Amino acid sequence: MSRFYLHQQIANGIIEDPDGTEVIDLAAARHEAILAARQLLANAILVGVTPIGRAFQITDEAGQALLTVPFRDALPPRFINVLDDTW
Amino acid sequence: MPHPTQSFVRNGLLSVIDAAGYAAIGPHLEPVDLPKGTVLIEAGEPFTHAHFLNSGIGSIIVSTADSQRVEAGIFGREGLAGFGSLLGADRGPQTTMIQVEGEGYRVSIGALRNACQQSDSLRETLLRYVHVFISQTSYTSLSNVSQSVEGRLARWLLMCHDRVTGDDIALTHEFLSIMLAVQRPSVTTALHMIEGYGFIKARRSNITIVDRDALVDFADGMYGTPEAEYRRLIGPFG
Repeated sequence: MSRFYLHQQIANGIIEDPDGTEVIDLAAARHEAILAARQLLANAILVGVTPIGRAFQITDEAGQALLTVPFRDALPPRFINVLDDTW
Repeated sequence: MPHPTQSFVRNGLLSVIDAAGYAAIGPHLEPVDLPKGTVLIEAGEPFTHAHFLNSGIGSIIVSTADSQRVEAGIFGREGLAGFGSLLGADRGPQTTMIQVEGEGYRVSIGALRNACQQSDSLRETLLRYVHVFISQTSYTSLSNVSQSVEGRLARWLLMCHDRVTGDDIALTHEFLSIMLAVQRPSVTTALHMIEGYGFIKARRSNITIVDRDALVDFADGMYGTPEAEYRRLIGPFG
């Protein structure tokens, strides 16, 4: 298990992850970021506001940036395809 | 060891029962320290003791098989942990644990039941508390389906503020994520937003309430009704 931090890039800065999360590897950390982005987007839609986040920057315990996960990657393509269907 | 006198106890239930009620339970109260993480009741395990808190915050949690955890309710110096024993149950599916350290008294289930048989004041006060607790969980369920994460966070912060002394609450993002049944980034973002409005100051494991009235407004009617029930039926609160 390793500790990864999901720092959130927002329009005018960054919201730091103070505690980090213990997961097996970077792929698992990316999965956490995708789930978290979906929850943040869902809450913004529910409340009717523009989401403030744009991406998660995943870092390790030393603060080394490992991966950027844009929020748009959290939207399953099949959802968008369905919404785009003409009918 | 001499038991605490009624004027000394700060627990809201033990403070309001009549002298005869206190005489029935007082001799059975054992002082206990309640560090963060103390498990008072384990899911599925027999009830052995009830706990009356003088300080600190406890949490009643339900979990799925894959250990997704959600908080069903909180209690502090106004309440009692282990009231299932008063309702005829020998165990329950929830886990009860301490989330903000404090202290209080424990009493064996047998002694509590006996004391409740001796004193109408004690029994009725504790059962009214069960009613207030059910009101709290009812509002939690309303809040969970109708409010934004920020609104729910505002409500929970107010509920914690009622149960601590001063304006600082020692809460980790991890605990808040269980309280609100969301992932930690949702907690971090909601704290960022509420801090941006000037209602709180958030530090790594500490939240300071800056503008309580504004938080109440922001909670949009979801905070206050169970608290008013406590004041109406039991006594001072918050």
